[in-house]
Amino acid sequence: MRFVASLVTALVVVGAAPQMASAQAAYQAPRTADGTPDLQGIWQVRNTSAAFDLEDHSGALGIPPGRSVIVDPADGKIPYRPEALAKRQENFKNRKAADTLNKCYMPGVPRITYLDFPFQIFQTPKYTLITYEYIHIYRTIFTNGSKHIDGLDFWLGDPRGYWDGDSLVVDVTDFNDQTWFDAAGDYHSDKLHVVERYTRTGPDTLQYEATIEDPAVFTRAWKISLPLYRHTERNFRLLEYECQAYADEAAKGSH
Amino acid sequence: MKFRLAILSAGVAVFLAALPALAHHSFAAEFDVSKPITLKGKFVRMDWVNPHSHILLDVTDADGKVVTWSFEALPPNVLFRQGWRKDALKPGEEIEVEGFQAKDGSANAWTRSVKTAEGRRLFAGSPDALPPGAPPAPKEDK
Repeated sequence: MRFVASLVTALVVVGAAPQMASAQAAYQAPRTADGTPDLQGIWQVRNTSAAFDLEDHSGALGIPPGRSVIVDPADGKIPYRPEALAKRQENFKNRKAADTLNKCYMPGVPRITYLDFPFQIFQTPKYTLITYEYIHIYRTIFTNGSKHIDGLDFWLGDPRGYWDGDSLVVDVTDFNDQTWFDAAGDYHSDKLHVVERYTRTGPDTLQYEATIEDPAVFTRAWKISLPLYRHTERNFRLLEYECQAYADEAAKGSH
Repeated sequence: MKFRLAILSAGVAVFLAALPALAHHSFAAEFDVSKPITLKGKFVRMDWVNPHSHILLDVTDADGKVVTWSFEALPPNVLFRQGWRKDALKPGEEIEVEGFQAKDGSANAWTRSVKTAEGRRLFAGSPDALPPGAPPAPKEDK
């Protein structure tokens, strides 16, 4: 009897998996007044280990173990050029001092998305605005066909978006070379080019993908993918996270 | 009471001095308006960072020794709006930088303008950023 029960369970699970996948693909996001997919709401990553290391990694004190969120290449590893891999290992060794996040500098893109803090998406016909709880960051993603700024760097790059079916696609350039992808020393140069894709997969889920190119550091483009979840708690809202103020307090020894 | 307040202020000042936040300072705190300086050298790199940008310049002195000077300038948003672009200066390019030297005599200065190898002049300081009594800015080359 027990055997039969587990067999039935197994069959149900096997049968359910492809159904879930097709349900996701078939999900139609609600539309805003101007007809674009409605991504508005407060979202947050649930995979809290990606911000520590995008690749497979073991746990350590304060660091949850995690599986790679890199879906391309298939081995789940960042395709570094040989000399760049050496630099990454050096970064890892010096990560406490070398990670500019530890100085409360802005975290760059895509890292801001999977830091374990909520962020809120607002849409207008001309731009989508994302505001982040983490140090009051905001990103204005113009969707009016405007071009990238030329000749100036941004900690979070210059984002220009367009709608592609059910997805918001954001092309981001004009980065500096001061940010990392995670706390494990994964880095880039100022030639970084990121293409983000935000796609609703259900009422409370949003799939986030980022394709990352940087010919100075990587041998080919690579891609991460991870789900974001909507905050549905009553009265949930963004609050303040004042990194520099907390760091100052810690330096005084009163924290 | 006045004495205690002074001690407290001194303590706060010492503490604040240790903070990177104080990297944003007034002109008068670090630079000397009576020490105008013009240096020619090889452009190394420019840090487009807040609160102030920095232009690094390798200057060869009379004895042939190379000293890297750091010329501080206005923040990236202001420079961009004044017409500067990230590729305005090329590493290795011979440039001439004009400004005011640091009070402590170190190889630091505040930037007023940069003359590129091809003779373009880029202004790096608004008149408001300078204290009263500063000599007039160089005339724009026609």
